Amino acid sequence: MIRKGKDDAELADFGRFSEPALLILVSLAEGPRHGYSMTEDIEAIAGVRLGPGTLYGALARLEARGLIDPLKSEDRRNPYRLTALGERALRARLDSMMSVARTGQRRLASA
Amino acid sequence: MNWVLRLYPAGWRERYGEEFAAVLARQRASPGLILDVLSGAIDAHLHPQFQYSESKQIIGDDTVTLEMLQRCAAGGPRLSQSDRRIASIFMILSALVMATLYIALTKVYREAPAVKAVGYASFPFLGLVYEQTAYLRKRPWLTQAFILGGGLLALYGLMLAVCVVGSKL
Repeated sequence: MIRKGKDDAELADFGRFSEPALLILVSLAEGPRHGYSMTEDIEAIAGVRLGPGTLYGALARLEARGLIDPLKSEDRRNPYRLTALGERALRARLDSMMSVARTGQRRLASA
Repeated sequence: MNWVLRLYPAGWRERYGEEFAAVLARQRASPGLILDVLSGAIDAHLHPQFQYSESKQIIGDDTVTLEMLQRCAAGGPRLSQSDRRIASIFMILSALVMATLYIALTKVYREAPAVKAVGYASFPFLGLVYEQTAYLRKRPWLTQAFILGGGLLALYGLMLAVCVVGSKL
């Protein structure tokens, strides 16, 4: 079991939306993006194409938790940006994933 | 394929409808896409708490307040089945407690005015119990104390005023 810090726990109860939410946070780490740009970016970095139902289910949860913020836009494509809380949650999640990955690699190397 | 938006709750459509439609328009229709959109609609109905976040830049506080008032006027804030069930159970239990208390007090003190007052006061009390368990349960304790305290003061103050005026007539 991965030990979860307070910030890491922000994404813990997203259920089936945890992975899409993490990918969205990674996508927004580079700067504000709107929905379609996020799906393109996520497909490029993770090889997964998020459907709009999954994308907006995850966006609504992230927004409700204060991990992302919508920005004002003139057209109907609202961009979102990462909040300070979202950045901390993303860092914590990536740290714990890296720790698991390092342990896995070490164990495979010694096997 | 914008017709699928109608499957989502009205509040959700108001908040995300346009941008969702913009993303949807650029996707190729497929069974997987339809399944994704349908499961998204089910999720939006099952988890309405995620759709009405305080969107500071897009929806101002005044708009949110107006929307809440409109919803209240149109039949009360949106309550989940479990909220209603919990509130109803608490109200029934409170009614039983108040009825038992009233019967016990009547046995001991007979027709004393204070006993009658307990009987009358139990009606607004039950309303406040329902309010707390249904609408305020997930709010900060300070909000609950302010609203319930204010409610108690207003209701019992009004009852007292009616009694005082009635006794002078």
